[in-house]
Amino acid sequence: MSDSPKPRGRFDRLMSAWVRSLDRTPFLVALIMLAAIVVARSRFQSGVFSLEELNLATASALTLMLAAAGQTIVLIRGGIDLSIGGVISLGTVLAATTFGDDPLQVAGWSLVILAIGFAIGALNGVLITVLRLQPFLVTLAGWSILTGIALTILPTDGGSVPSWWTGFGYSIFLGLSGPVWVLMALILFWYWFRATRLGIVIQATGSSERSAVLSGVSILRANIATYGLSGLFAAAAALYLTTQTGTGSPLIGRDYILPSVAAAVVGGVSLFGGRGHLVGTIIGAFILTIIGDLVFALRVSSYWQPVMAGLILLGAVLASSLAEKSAKGQDR
Amino acid sequence: MELLSAGGLSKRFGGIVALNEASFSATAGEVHALLGENGAGKSTFIQILAGVLRADQGRILLDGADYAPRDPDAAARRGIVTVFQELSSIPDLSVEGNIWFRREPRTVLRTVSWREVRRRTEALFDRYRFPAIHPGQDLRRLGLAERQIVEIAKALAQEPRILVLDEATSALAARETEWLLDLTRRLAGEGRLVVFISHRMGEVRAVADRLTIFRGGRTVAAHVAGNVTDDEIVTEMIGRRLERLYPQRVAHATDRIAVEARGLSSGPRLPGVTFDMKEGEVLGVGGLQGHGQRELFQALFGVSRSQGEMRLWGRPAAISSPRDALVGRDGIALVPEDRRGQGLLLSKSVRENLTLAVIRRMSRRGVLLRDAEAALVKEMVDFLHIKVSTPEQQADTLSGGNQQKVIFGKMLLTEARVLLLYDPTRGVDVGTKSEIFQLMRDLAAKGYAILFYSSDLQELVNVADRVMVLREGRVAAMLEGEDLSEGAILRAALFDEAA
Repeated sequence: MSDSPKPRGRFDRLMSAWVRSLDRTPFLVALIMLAAIVVARSRFQSGVFSLEELNLATASALTLMLAAAGQTIVLIRGGIDLSIGGVISLGTVLAATTFGDDPLQVAGWSLVILAIGFAIGALNGVLITVLRLQPFLVTLAGWSILTGIALTILPTDGGSVPSWWTGFGYSIFLGLSGPVWVLMALILFWYWFRATRLGIVIQATGSSERSAVLSGVSILRANIATYGLSGLFAAAAALYLTTQTGTGSPLIGRDYILPSVAAAVVGGVSLFGGRGHLVGTIIGAFILTIIGDLVFALRVSSYWQPVMAGLILLGAVLASSLAEKSAKGQDR
Repeated sequence: MELLSAGGLSKRFGGIVALNEASFSATAGEVHALLGENGAGKSTFIQILAGVLRADQGRILLDGADYAPRDPDAAARRGIVTVFQELSSIPDLSVEGNIWFRREPRTVLRTVSWREVRRRTEALFDRYRFPAIHPGQDLRRLGLAERQIVEIAKALAQEPRILVLDEATSALAARETEWLLDLTRRLAGEGRLVVFISHRMGEVRAVADRLTIFRGGRTVAAHVAGNVTDDEIVTEMIGRRLERLYPQRVAHATDRIAVEARGLSSGPRLPGVTFDMKEGEVLGVGGLQGHGQRELFQALFGVSRSQGEMRLWGRPAAISSPRDALVGRDGIALVPEDRRGQGLLLSKSVRENLTLAVIRRMSRRGVLLRDAEAALVKEMVDFLHIKVSTPEQQADTLSGGNQQKVIFGKMLLTEARVLLLYDPTRGVDVGTKSEIFQLMRDLAAKGYAILFYSSDLQELVNVADRVMVLREGRVAAMLEGEDLSEGAILRAALFDEAA
């Protein structure tokens, strides 16, 4: 036997380089996909790289981003929140039925809606912990109940919000639209939140609940915070949605439940908890939103959009699972 | 002056009495060993100390004041920190993130100051001369030994007056064990109390000033370490005299080669090993931890990809998954390192665990033959002396030794005749250890070929026919007969044999 180390295959070397980069930037796959889609679009359309385009794309993606922000925190905790569909529906209905023209009143009711969102989420957290129920089932029930309540208040799309409210998406400050500013605030929030003890506790609890308990974590408090934040973000998504639609829609929330999970997963968030980054989710939401624009630019039938979205989801999951397997095989 | 004293402690779980008026007393500045078989009540006692469980009766005095913590945080505030056998490490946090979890220093923005965390981690590692581990590395990338070390760091970061180490050396290899024993002495020297639990008598002998022995939930004896012999201790632990820990070693190896590995390699830690394993032989695997032992076992069992040539009972074998390994009468079965995580379905019954791998053999057209299954399960439970009230008992209610027996049973039922045992006696009490060794020798006599890794050199020397020492993923020495000794294994593991 010679003592010189056996040269490793090119595939192994490539794979471990890939694993290392994914470790540093968990949303690398999503970033590459987004770049590919944007570049592909720029071949067919002009002005893809303009500020205006950023403003527009953010305006159409922001509802999903807000909803998916809450979902991301829940997924990192190792749960799932389907009730955001109900919170979003109820939120738009409440906004459209309570908002008058007075900005102070609008602000007051907005706070009430956000508080309701948080309270619903916190209740989810309590039920999941105290009754030891599956998050999937508790929040599925929550979605159903909240949708029913929304329908009781407003059986069909209707109500109204003030016209200055619907102008938010087009408002420009320092060249950037209102939604872009909200997005930046969201990213800032994330970088702050993930470095707080609460953020770390939520991640740790998703990584290994048993270990977290042994380290002294209160699962009840962690769950209340996690699902409460998810409800809060869903309510924020609802408020923003009304600036886009101008009405209350008692069924609209369901359009965001699974896409919020998809955006997170495309962005590299693990469905098994413990791992994920909101910037990834935001990129995922961008991808799922502008994929429609790409389909339009390619001049093919718009029915191809869900097909593309599905393929992207598969591709993203595959890329990170390959990395995960190889990481286990090589680095233990 | 006693720092910690407990009296009349009792704890029941349903019908089972875990602690029965147990007592304990220890002073500051000593290493106090707590000994007993699995199920003797040691775990229950330290869980009460740690605030995980509450005693039904009895009281504990800490510094003369009542002590009854409601949770681990409360225990830590009074200065008692426990390193549990079941690790509390969080895979997706970094080493330093784990060490300071929930106690991280913060900035004015209430965010964690990772710079300060790093500074404190390095200071901690420095002060206690920790083995080199990068503080920023994710825990899921580390092996069991390194996780154990992180767990110890996490405990020390809380500056405990009383440190409880529950089987903390069981995951460590020789060099790290040495470090921990040394650390234990230093902590005692600083005036702290270390409560030390280990099934390895050598370690207890090396560090303990005093020892307390539990049996069946009661305190049966307390000694000054120098005034008692090993035999007396073992007798008190098991309540009878253990004839001998290691069985008679009668050579049964035949000339038939069970496993023939030529340049078997897998990843950077296992660049290539060549060896033969004979029918009827217990082949030991030694070496410092992290020198390819784990990779070798994983490659042989098909858990990780491997290259090189391998023949099984003379036929070329390509094993790329555990399914390939287990197939057929002459397959390969594994007793894995992490028995709670990988070896057992904890929430399933003993019966289900035993027959999981062979469910197809006991079914006709997809329907499980209950009678055949029950007969087989009974046979195994009797054969291995698994202590259960009924085979339907859930696996996680068993003691460590009994869990290990269930894994052995599961493996034997597969009819595989090449057995890979990765540290099978880790955290197993002395009585069960002796049973496992006897079983290994019996199986070898029946023509099984057994590959046996142990982090305890004494076990390798006393149970294996030959010992293959790995260094940097290569065979550094193959020791047998007269040449086989703890010293020879260590020398081969550390130095070139030319030296």
